[in-house]
Amino acid sequence: MTRLMQLTLGIVTAIGGFVDIGNLVTSGIAGARFGMSLTWAIVLGTIGMTVFAEMAGRVSAVAGRAVFHAVRERLGVRTALINMVSSTVLNLLTLAAELGGVSLVLQLATGVNYLIWVPIVGLFCWLVVWRLPFSLLENVFGLLGLALIVFVVALFRLHPDWHGLWHGASHPSVAAGEGIPTYFFYAVSVFGACLVPYQVQFFSSGGREEHWNEKSIPDMRMNAIIGFPLGGLLSIAIMAVAVPVLQPLHVDVAHLGQVTLPVAQAAGVAGLAFVLLGFFAATFAAAAECTLATGYLISQYFGWSWGKSHRPAQAPRFHLVCIACVIAATGFILTTVDPITVTLVSVVLGAAAVPLTYFPVLMVANDRDYMGRHVNRAFSNTLGSVFLLLMLITSVATLPLLFITKAGL
Amino acid sequence: MTRTMWANRDLLDRLLIAADGEHVGMVDDLELSDGPAPEITALLSGPTALGPRVGGRLGSWWLAVGRRLRPADDPYPNRVPFAQVTTINHRGIAVAVESAEVPTRRLRGWVHDKVIDRIPGSG
Repeated sequence: MTRLMQLTLGIVTAIGGFVDIGNLVTSGIAGARFGMSLTWAIVLGTIGMTVFAEMAGRVSAVAGRAVFHAVRERLGVRTALINMVSSTVLNLLTLAAELGGVSLVLQLATGVNYLIWVPIVGLFCWLVVWRLPFSLLENVFGLLGLALIVFVVALFRLHPDWHGLWHGASHPSVAAGEGIPTYFFYAVSVFGACLVPYQVQFFSSGGREEHWNEKSIPDMRMNAIIGFPLGGLLSIAIMAVAVPVLQPLHVDVAHLGQVTLPVAQAAGVAGLAFVLLGFFAATFAAAAECTLATGYLISQYFGWSWGKSHRPAQAPRFHLVCIACVIAATGFILTTVDPITVTLVSVVLGAAAVPLTYFPVLMVANDRDYMGRHVNRAFSNTLGSVFLLLMLITSVATLPLLFITKAGL
Repeated sequence: MTRTMWANRDLLDRLLIAADGEHVGMVDDLELSDGPAPEITALLSGPTALGPRVGGRLGSWWLAVGRRLRPADDPYPNRVPFAQVTTINHRGIAVAVESAEVPTRRLRGWVHDKVIDRIPGSG
């Protein structure tokens, strides 16, 4: 494969990898309820994700370490344990949301109730983790996820009031009839959906799976710096198509189907087919990545052998953790809890837990012992510190917002 | 060249890497020799070493689980003699022992034999 193609592939998979059930749901709801006035939260979340993914990727390439190895070394045995347990619980919640999301997409496509699909989706998720080579997982689903570009196409075909959209985005204000706490609750959820911790865990451990070294840094950097912002643009497009179609009707998005309505209106059945394909690829890939991320972080805490480059027999405990995760998350969704609510709760709690993953990344990226000449420069440090501060504020504000607004009602 | 090393920074909670490159556990605790000038004699690993370091109720629970996992023999943690350490760097602590000979992998063996090996496609 030529270098250019490899680079393109990396960027494309980064776009697909950025968008998951959290982005689909929160962007859809936010667009329908608040117009473009939460665009800033997507922009901030995307910049944060890009900055920290680049750092985690660099640590992975230079120090040869994934995030959680460093977490235990740097934070000590007890703090790292608390970190590991809370990250695992959060990832399980996210995994449940993704599995529910895939099943909802299948329900939309076939009309068969999503609960029937949940165990099948769980089984396939595990099979992918069990057998599919790492590069196939990334490339196949990353490419299929590109079908979501249909949201951009739909946006153009809807001939929206561009000036109005831009005005809404550049002059954020709380929509009439909505409380300020609700507005900020959704700001946190949109922000959290961009920064979900499993993505950084997966990105850094994935770098080990693909044997990144110092020479991989330019490619990795391009993937993060071009791919993730394009993924953020896609999230903005999902938000924007909801504005001319759903907002005037006061649709309260509570089903995944409602997020697809604007595309169906603008691009018909063909458009809908693309949306469903894109939704499926994005949520399914996220489910597999989330499973792997949990396996990675637990294995890294205990120093077990891990990763898909090993056969399951060579990393038995890693694979046992993955199996247990899929079973637990499948079981949770089968309790008939609403997957959309699970998604909202997972992105909001994710926003609260973000510093747990991101702070150690910043710490190690600044450590000359690990990083040598690739240690963080002033630019990354300034951005990283500003975002960490923002994440800490978000983290403190999250739980009160969750309770005051009763999860955004 | 001599370099001052800190147990807390350079040894504890570092990854143990076997001679064949496998990850074989973390340094959960250190074993020191008796006497007026104690020296590090071994790196300790496994739940019975980790439990006491976690401390509190969770730690003692961890220790108890560790003991149950190996009821037949001595609950003394798995040890890798310090003399077998070859390199200590940012990637972890490399030891001159093959992964199969490192005694830290009881749980791994059990999980492999009882669960993973019985699922088709594991090999």
